[in-house]
Amino acid sequence: MAATDSPPARAAGALHLRVRLFAGLREAMGWSEQAVVAAAGATPLAVWNQLELGEGWRRTRGGADPLRGGVATAPTPAPARPRSPIPASMPNLPPGIRVAINHRFAAADAALADGDELAFLPPISGG
Amino acid sequence: MSPPSIESPGSSPLPPAQLSLQLQPACLDPSRELERWQGELAAVAAGAPAATALFIGRVRGRTAAGKPLEALELEHYPGMAEHQLHQLASACARRNGVAAVLVRHRVGRVLPGEALVLVAVAADRRGPAQRCCQALLEALKHHAPFWKREWSGGVGEWVLGNTPLG
Repeated sequence: MAATDSPPARAAGALHLRVRLFAGLREAMGWSEQAVVAAAGATPLAVWNQLELGEGWRRTRGGADPLRGGVATAPTPAPARPRSPIPASMPNLPPGIRVAINHRFAAADAALADGDELAFLPPISGG
Repeated sequence: MSPPSIESPGSSPLPPAQLSLQLQPACLDPSRELERWQGELAAVAAGAPAATALFIGRVRGRTAAGKPLEALELEHYPGMAEHQLHQLASACARRNGVAAVLVRHRVGRVLPGEALVLVAVAADRRGPAQRCCQALLEALKHHAPFWKREWSGGVGEWVLGNTPLG
C-alpha cells in the first residue's frame, strides 16, 4: 500500500460515527442509522450508553421467554411496560448483543476511530 | 481475497477451495442450484470431487410457539453478511481441506416449505465433506448477521437465537 497523507485533524478530537441498528433493536428505537458524535476515546459500550440503547433493548425483551422477542406489529408503539431492571448506563452490553465495527465483529471496549461504522447486533438467527 | 492454501506433512499444498456464496432475495431452488454447481465442478479436467455433503433448510409451518406460520422474514446486514459468509466458508473449507463450497441463503420474506438455506460441500472423502457442511451451517447460524421474524396472525415476532442442533 502506498504511503498516505496524515489523518485529518479532527481525528484527534470527537469521533464522527455512523451507528446502525438491526431487527428488534432497530424497531424498538425507531431508527436504523444515525450520525453520532462521540467523545475521543469512546468505546462501543460508551456509545450504547450515550444513545440509551439499553432502554430500547429492554422493550424488545418484554416477554418472559428469554429466547423470544417482544416486538409485535411493527407500526404499533410499544405499550407502557414495567420499570426496567436494566440501569440507563450499563457497565456491559446486555447478553446477546454483539458489536460490529466496519462490518467486523468487535469487542464492546474496542477502540473506535473517526469515520467508523458501528453496529449493534441483537442475537443472530440465521440458517 | 482468496484463502491461503494449507499444507500437511508429506503432502502437496491443497489449492484453495472454490467458493460459490450468494444471498438470494428471490425464491431458492436447491435442485437447480446444485445441478448448476455440480456441472461447474465436473467441467474441470479432474472431474467433480468424489464426495458431496449437503444441507437444505426449509421454513417450518409453525412458529416456535406452535402457531401457524404465515411467513418468515429474513433481515440481514448488507455488506457484513456477505463478508462473514466468505470468512466462515473459507475458514471452514481450509480447516477441513475440502475442494468446493456452495452456500445460498435467502433474505426477505420466505413462505412455509420454501428453502431458506442450502449448504453443499465437495471433497475427495465423505468425512471432510460432512464435517465441513455441518460446521459451516452452525457457523452461519451463529456468526453471520441474519435475523428471523416469524409472522403469524398478522403479528411479527423476532426470533432471538437459534433452535437446538437436536
